[in-house]
Amino acid sequence: MSIVIKQREPSRLPSKTDAEFDRISNLPGHVIDQILSRLPIRDAVRSSVLSRKWRYKWATIPCLVFDNHCFNFSSQDQSFIKNKLVNIIDHVLLLHNGPIHKFKLSHRDLLGVTDIDRWILCISRSSIKEVVLEIWKGQRYKPPSCLFKCQNLVHLELFNCLLKPPLMFKGFQNLKSLDLQHITITQDVFEKLISSCPSLERLTLMNFTGVTNLIIDAPNLQFFDIGGIFEDVSFLNTVHLSLVSIGLYVNIDNEENDARDNSSKLLRFFVNLPHIRRLEIQSYFLKYLAMGYVPSRLPNLCVDLNHLSIRIDFDDLEENTAALCLLRSCPNLQELEMLARSEEQSSMERSTNFWEDDHWSSLFAHLRLVKVSGISGVKSEMDFIKFLLSNSPVLEQLTVKPASQEGEWELMKELLRFRRASIYAEVIYLDP
Amino acid sequence: MSEVDMAVIKPEMMKSYIWLQTADGSIQQVEQEVAMFCPMICHEVIQKGMGSSKNYAISLPQRVNPAMLSLILDYCRFHQVPGRSNKERKSFDEKFIRMDTKRLCELTSAADSLQLKPLVDLTSRALARIIEGKSPEEIREIFHLPDDLTEEEKLEPLKNTTDDPRIRLLNRLYAKKRKELKERQKLKNIEVEEERVDDRSVDDLLSFINGDNGDSKGIKNSKSKKKNRRRKDQQKNTSANEAIKNHNKEPNGLNQVCRSAEVGQKVRAGVGATSNLHDVGDDIFDNKNELDDVDIDDEIDPALKEKIDREVEDFARRLNSDWPERMQEILSFGHERKPVHFSLNGNGSLRRYANSEQR
Repeated sequence: MSIVIKQREPSRLPSKTDAEFDRISNLPGHVIDQILSRLPIRDAVRSSVLSRKWRYKWATIPCLVFDNHCFNFSSQDQSFIKNKLVNIIDHVLLLHNGPIHKFKLSHRDLLGVTDIDRWILCISRSSIKEVVLEIWKGQRYKPPSCLFKCQNLVHLELFNCLLKPPLMFKGFQNLKSLDLQHITITQDVFEKLISSCPSLERLTLMNFTGVTNLIIDAPNLQFFDIGGIFEDVSFLNTVHLSLVSIGLYVNIDNEENDARDNSSKLLRFFVNLPHIRRLEIQSYFLKYLAMGYVPSRLPNLCVDLNHLSIRIDFDDLEENTAALCLLRSCPNLQELEMLARSEEQSSMERSTNFWEDDHWSSLFAHLRLVKVSGISGVKSEMDFIKFLLSNSPVLEQLTVKPASQEGEWELMKELLRFRRASIYAEVIYLDP
Repeated sequence: MSEVDMAVIKPEMMKSYIWLQTADGSIQQVEQEVAMFCPMICHEVIQKGMGSSKNYAISLPQRVNPAMLSLILDYCRFHQVPGRSNKERKSFDEKFIRMDTKRLCELTSAADSLQLKPLVDLTSRALARIIEGKSPEEIREIFHLPDDLTEEEKLEPLKNTTDDPRIRLLNRLYAKKRKELKERQKLKNIEVEEERVDDRSVDDLLSFINGDNGDSKGIKNSKSKKKNRRRKDQQKNTSANEAIKNHNKEPNGLNQVCRSAEVGQKVRAGVGATSNLHDVGDDIFDNKNELDDVDIDDEIDPALKEKIDREVEDFARRLNSDWPERMQEILSFGHERKPVHFSLNGNGSLRRYANSEQR
């Protein structure tokens, strides 16, 4: 008989058995960087207490994101939070060791201008590629001139800032994506900025002050999204532009402008957009396009345009004319979205049907999906839907969404009655 | 081609295969389009012409063992088909990534050595999700990390972004140690420091007062007094400061009083109360840094605290009672200075305002 003496397990030492099972600490540095970069900065820095090997692994992560999600403060005291935040960001930047490729600062608590200047100076020294700066509170923040020296910048995103580059600024040679929202910038600074970034592919511009004429000179631009108040927009040298979304947030007064300028805004707009694929006309921009002379069809058809979205006031004659011109000029249109804009002063309901079914037979040869929303069942709107249904042979889906529950039943009854050219067409009614 | 024909022709000729050899020596053949999805294998085939037969099998890096290789090939087999939608790919990835942590790490390592970036991205994201939000103990448990930071490394004020109570305590302990060291240092250097401070104030004084020589003696007296005071008060240093901080509300303009007290002090000497005040004023200036960089969570001995509270209230009251007269005297010396008026607030404390804002 053998006596089995059970040996007590030794206490947990950093023995080699641990090393066998520890698969993660010896992954290559760039892989660890990737893993830590995907954590909120708080968790990433916390990894320094895991073990000796992990003490400084966080210090080489290439992207630093300081936003509302990265800290949990139990205190409600504003100045306490602010001081703690400044302290933390200072520490992280100081202890960081290596190139920083992405820096995002977006915290809702008010931060001091000198602090932010200091941090931007720090990152501008380390070949930064992406900068996202969202100033939630306070006046427009003016980034220091060192930001404009970052020639490795590929993506720049600013919110609530004032842009005033130094005189010596010659543009960002590598900038591909620019996103400016709630900014103040003067006319010539804007033009110079756009034209001096030769690699620019995406431009987003929302709620800007100081620019009235948008002159876009960007040979590689592919994506363009603006919303704001302006008087004029013109594209120079934008052959590759394929996605355009424009919103004019102010209602323009047609009478004023008629006397001045008789040229066609519509023609000028499309003259340099030969390859446009997706177009969204929002807010009052259709009214802008309707100014001046509106041809029955554009001279150069937009053959690549396959998605069109228009916000339109169905009762406005000029807007309808402009919309019709557009619809005639995109033979390969596949998706159409019409959003009805309700005006405070309702124009007279016209008795004539603008969308008279004359000779539009080849108009919607490829149209498959249509969405009409914000309507209230007025005659002009129903005329359009009727016209659409009877002229789209390959239509697959028409989605209708009214603005309110008023007159729902009447609307549905009328819809039910319309003739459909396509036997596959589904008419889907969505609740308001 | 008919089925019969296909059977006659050797399969290798229909579909080309790549030969791969893992570090343990085993060789297998894999469909070409699947294997070529890995950049490293692609490179070997194209640049070096390897992998066409058993003898010229591509030797894979050591981190790729057969189990991992088969996982990676499954991944490649799915994703190399061009027709799949994004939704399909995403749901495949979600299912694919469900494995234990150990295998996940191995897979990351293997995918990285084959330079298969999309898979490395996928696994790093999964690992990050595992790490996120967990405490250090939990993470060590999951990944079998040794808890091997030495005590002193743990003592270094780690950046405590987490409010981890353990780290906060450690920081506090360390800060206390540092403070004690500093205070001991200070005791040694007091003579030198005081000289400096006094010299500066004498200069200021002379220019401010515009030729009042009678007070140099007074200053000398106060200096010696100060030295003694300091030694006694050394222990109460930070506590006193704290008490003052806590009592900021009560004597409303105590800070202001202290600042202007310095001036007062240098002019009028030999009054017990004011010299005490000067000490405290000095302390506030000198110890300001210390207050800032340490989480003052220290528990002060309650008995001591009460004593200090009483002292502070005491001389604050004394100040408030005869301060206005004294200030008038001081100010009558300085003609250039804009006359600053003091008035008593409702609760007996001082309020200072400039000429233009007179009631």
